[in-house]
Amino acid sequence: MAASPGRFILRVAAWLPPAFLLWYIAAPLLAWPVALLTAAVAKIGFSSIIEGVEQQGRMLTIVSTLKSTLASTQNAASGVLSVDLNPGLYSFGFPMLVALTLAARQPQMLRTLLLGYVVLTPFVSWGLVAEFLKQVAFDAGPAVASQAGFTPAQREAIAFAYQFGTLILPAAAPAVFWVLTHRRFLGEFANRGADTLAGGQ
Amino acid sequence: MVRFFLTFLVVLAVLFGFELTPWAQDWFVRPWTDALAAISADIVRWFDPQVIAHGNILRSSRNGFAVAIEAGCNGVEATIVLVAAVLAFPAPWWRKLVGLAVGILAVQGLNIVRVISLFYLGQWNFDAFEFAHRYVWQALIMLDVLIVWLLWVRTLPRGPALAPA
Repeated sequence: MAASPGRFILRVAAWLPPAFLLWYIAAPLLAWPVALLTAAVAKIGFSSIIEGVEQQGRMLTIVSTLKSTLASTQNAASGVLSVDLNPGLYSFGFPMLVALTLAARQPQMLRTLLLGYVVLTPFVSWGLVAEFLKQVAFDAGPAVASQAGFTPAQREAIAFAYQFGTLILPAAAPAVFWVLTHRRFLGEFANRGADTLAGGQ
Repeated sequence: MVRFFLTFLVVLAVLFGFELTPWAQDWFVRPWTDALAAISADIVRWFDPQVIAHGNILRSSRNGFAVAIEAGCNGVEATIVLVAAVLAFPAPWWRKLVGLAVGILAVQGLNIVRVISLFYLGQWNFDAFEFAHRYVWQALIMLDVLIVWLLWVRTLPRGPALAPA
């Protein structure tokens, strides 16, 4: 039987603080698979501009092959561009997913949460890679952008991927995953409402 | 369920793409963000008269602390997710319109609470402000969207859309 809306919301509110605390404490551990996946994505799709991905605690650094400044007749080129990135900015929806899943009290919660982490990790990598590309294409200056050689269409795609990966995916993806994995709970939740609307219980 | 999910994704992508156009930014997003700052300042002045809004900035003339309401903090993206979820779900149009009206009010109402709470949290402790701003409130706003949508679905007549396969 599904929970009443009030009880369900209260349970979500009760689970949210410990879920956030655990997520924050475990951030270095949770970032490790993200670093591996981001490194794989970089190697497969962006090997010409990304040298590697390094993890320091909860933070990741994407090391590029691009020189921070171009060499001139007066100055040699300086070091390569590295971008520090915070995976937490793209994974804050995971504690929300934990709170929703525990509040729904459906069978196999641990399996759902593990599956959720596996499913959401690519979205975190999306955000990190998109932020790196945005830095290269727009923020690091024309000397860096010219080395990457992005076309105008690629720059537009990077801008959209960054905005979508920052503003929509981190919050919406966990919510959508929860809806898709809790259809029985939602069906009961909705049908109880329908009964009430029809003058039933 | 598959049809709902695909429709949701398409509507979400279209609305978000539209939001990013210069036309939508100039005629909707920036004016709305400025209005949000003004509404927040109007509310805050009931108990703190030394707060002013200028464009998208909420500022305390007492200590100079200010917050700028930027993309992601104006509730527009959360509203887009709600609109996509309501439009994609099979329901009579009048129920969708009622759901959208009430839902958008609920999302934007909580977003005003977010802006005001962050404004005072930042004056108290900047680390707490950063944590709440970057992580907690982002999740809370999406929870609001999800719960509003669930409550709206609950008011609908019995239907097979969410029934387990």
